[in-house]
Amino acid sequence: MAELTVENLHLRLGGNEILKGVGMSLERGQVVALLGPSGSGKTTLLRAVAGLEQAHAGRITLGGKPVFDAEAGVDLPAEKRNLGLVFQSYALWPHKTVFDNVAYGLKLRGTGREEMRERVQAALNQIGLGKHGERFPHQLSGGQQQRVALARALVYKPPVILLDEPLSNLDAKLREEARAWLRELIVTLHLSALCVTHDQVEAMAIADRILLLNAGVVEQEGSPQDMYGAPRSLFAAEFMGANNRIEGTVAEQRDGYAALAVAGRTEDEPLLWGRLRADRTPGGPATGIVRLESVRPADGPGPNRLALDLVTSMYLGERWEYLFHRGPLKVRAYGNEALEPGRHWLEFPADRVWVF
Amino acid sequence: MSTSRPQSWARVSVILVTALVVLAPLALVFYQSFLDNPFFAPKVQFTLSAYDFVLNDEDFHSAFLNSLMIATGMTAIAVPLGGLLAFLIVRTDLPGRRWIEPLLLLPVFLSPVVLAFGYVVAAGPVGFLSLPAESLFGFVPWDIYSIYGLVLVAGLTHVPHVYLYASSALRGVSSDLEEAARIGGAGPWRVALDVSLPMVMPALLYSGVLVFFLGFELFGLPLVLGDPQGILVMSTYLYKLTNLLGTPSYQLMAVVVVALVLVTFPLVILQRRLLRQAGKYVTLKGKGARQTPLKLGGWKWLAFAILALWLVATVVVPLAGIGLRSVVSSWGRGVTLSDQLTLAHYRDLWQYPNLIRGILNTLGVGVIGGALSVACYTVISLAAHRWQSGWTRLLDFLVLVPRAMPGLVAGLAILWIFLFVPGLGVLKSTMISVWIAYTVVWLAYGMRLISTALLQVGPELEEGARVVGAGPHRVNMDITIPLIRFGMLGSWLLIFMIFVREYSTGIYLLGPGTEVIGSLLVSLWGTGDIDLISALSVINVAMVGAGLLTALRLGVRLHG
Repeated sequence: MAELTVENLHLRLGGNEILKGVGMSLERGQVVALLGPSGSGKTTLLRAVAGLEQAHAGRITLGGKPVFDAEAGVDLPAEKRNLGLVFQSYALWPHKTVFDNVAYGLKLRGTGREEMRERVQAALNQIGLGKHGERFPHQLSGGQQQRVALARALVYKPPVILLDEPLSNLDAKLREEARAWLRELIVTLHLSALCVTHDQVEAMAIADRILLLNAGVVEQEGSPQDMYGAPRSLFAAEFMGANNRIEGTVAEQRDGYAALAVAGRTEDEPLLWGRLRADRTPGGPATGIVRLESVRPADGPGPNRLALDLVTSMYLGERWEYLFHRGPLKVRAYGNEALEPGRHWLEFPADRVWVF
Repeated sequence: MSTSRPQSWARVSVILVTALVVLAPLALVFYQSFLDNPFFAPKVQFTLSAYDFVLNDEDFHSAFLNSLMIATGMTAIAVPLGGLLAFLIVRTDLPGRRWIEPLLLLPVFLSPVVLAFGYVVAAGPVGFLSLPAESLFGFVPWDIYSIYGLVLVAGLTHVPHVYLYASSALRGVSSDLEEAARIGGAGPWRVALDVSLPMVMPALLYSGVLVFFLGFELFGLPLVLGDPQGILVMSTYLYKLTNLLGTPSYQLMAVVVVALVLVTFPLVILQRRLLRQAGKYVTLKGKGARQTPLKLGGWKWLAFAILALWLVATVVVPLAGIGLRSVVSSWGRGVTLSDQLTLAHYRDLWQYPNLIRGILNTLGVGVIGGALSVACYTVISLAAHRWQSGWTRLLDFLVLVPRAMPGLVAGLAILWIFLFVPGLGVLKSTMISVWIAYTVVWLAYGMRLISTALLQVGPELEEGARVVGAGPHRVNMDITIPLIRFGMLGSWLLIFMIFVREYSTGIYLLGPGTEVIGSLLVSLWGTGDIDLISALSVINVAMVGAGLLTALRLGVRLHG
């Protein structure tokens, strides 16, 4: 059953149309990530669900009950929606202790003293801060504050919790640990969550489904595997993963594949075949997208191989990253050893190249 | 923003009450200015005769010209000097700049009448400084009772107003910009002229308009220093009009008020526009601005001398004068002061129940009234907090209205309201009337203090409480107000000092039961009893000083 549905939501901020008809649904026990570049409307959508921004058209339903319906004139204020929200800045109240921060939601719901103490303590234990209840937020590290913010949103058991870039304020190393911890918590507590992020790796790690937003509309939605492995648009393909972009013209089309004549191609160079992902006419311009990890250095000429000049090799620890140039074409690829300077052959497997 | 609808009625009613309290006095004054008799007279008729009288009165013309001249002159003195002091304190390695700053701001919190009395006893014709100077030069090389003396004193005492804005603009500009010019080949003074000065230009422009505006409102200084020579300005002309025709001539006073507001209101609007631009070059907000002080080298002592000279002329001379005067029994030619030391003036205060009441009332309106006013300002600020609508724009405008009314005028207008509205008369002779007048006069200042505190509260702290389940009122009580409590405490201290210092607003409200030190000083000046005046002034300064020390101790920012 859908815990949360959003239908055809339109929202303006200061005269700018931020959301232009967004729809989505969130099943019970599922995590949906709202992914997109800055300005795509993902945070605005989350805030509209929370009741912190007011849309001018569309519907939002929580647990089968409309909380916003522009036509019916329904607009429940934020405090009546019974949601949990973890802010990007955590927004812990600096004048309240950790215990009081977490307890506030229960206090507002008229929970008795004893029960409140137990539930807050249980929530703090759950996040591993059982002994820190008397501290103030500024006495905690960033990672601990983030967990308190989560406990504060979970303690009164809202049907859906909303996470606004929950990990972005942590430094890189801590972020990966917190990501695993958060996913574990979500799975063990069977939470339904809507999570805003601009980091596609984070989205894929945490979410069951991803909603990719672009300029106020849903560009594509699906499982992380779908989004990464079968992007339906150039935007989606480029947004997910690290990519090479290869400009050229369509030379041939056959069985859902297209052959790309790469810009600056010489007569004897093979055409670059890839899966055709959009309507393209032969002779017309097209763009090939291939993930960095799909490009492989090869030992010599062959089908779907191009020769490029190595500009530099960068050592990344677990592997090398190479940068190749040939005229306007720039290609990055990974490998396991440093390459000699000079011209190299690179293979672009046809199934891993998407032509838009 | 959006979900404030459930409490809109509460917000709107707060704004409507504010509108009523702010607009009613001014409206009554406008109404009165077109009448031929006091508004409470049994028969009144509409007429322009009051305008006819005032606009053709030569005294009015000279008062207007004097105000214009004083305002221009003091701007010309205060702006360059205030800008220079700000640069020296904020941007150079001037010795002692840390402890000098609070002293620099002191004149803002001192009553102008007290300063004026101080100048009279120190630098008047037979002042403590004038007599030695006379024996040295054979004549007194200054005349504080002239319009030039008045301009000079007004200019020097308004330096802090310029300093406040110039220094905060300078603090906001990162020294990277100056260093970039140094690297590019400009010497220190070239940098000051080509980089630093243009950066603070908007702030200087704003403070220039502010000082000019304050010049038009000037009352205490011209009353004490200008009156003996018959130099009238707009406000003293109004004050003199009170009994011009034997009976209080309400319609004439109303016309002068209208004339004054017609000058000040556009200046207030102009200030508001300029203030928006004043921070235009502030590249770093908050404390983070890294600044390397400019090495003054040998210029250090010249700079220090300029600062010390200003400090002596503006703070030390009047305060020492009034302090000394309060403990000697007589002064003047051929008197050895050490033989005259006495505490009799302070003891004499006890002979006058109205003066004792004045001291207690001043403390009361400062401490209790100040707290209540801060509460009012907080309620009004919260009514507009995070709400974009026509109502909040109306409130922005409303706050400007009392700003354009000098204290003297606001006191008068509020007195009339008490006379006009049936039932309010009983409050007229209580401190409630004085408190209301003070609260209205300082509305803009108080609202700025509170909204500065509110700006520090991150919106997500309030949104967090909303999502957790708190309604708008609970958010205010549980989150917003606790978060600004230090700002409110600081505002209370600043309002305390301002209320204790205030002298002009209470003048028309002065009566048995409504005495405050400020208005008592003005009325005592009429009797010339300088013994009591000096003792009362010292007590007033001591109260302000206590507030200032507490504020500094608690780390309250003195910048509004």
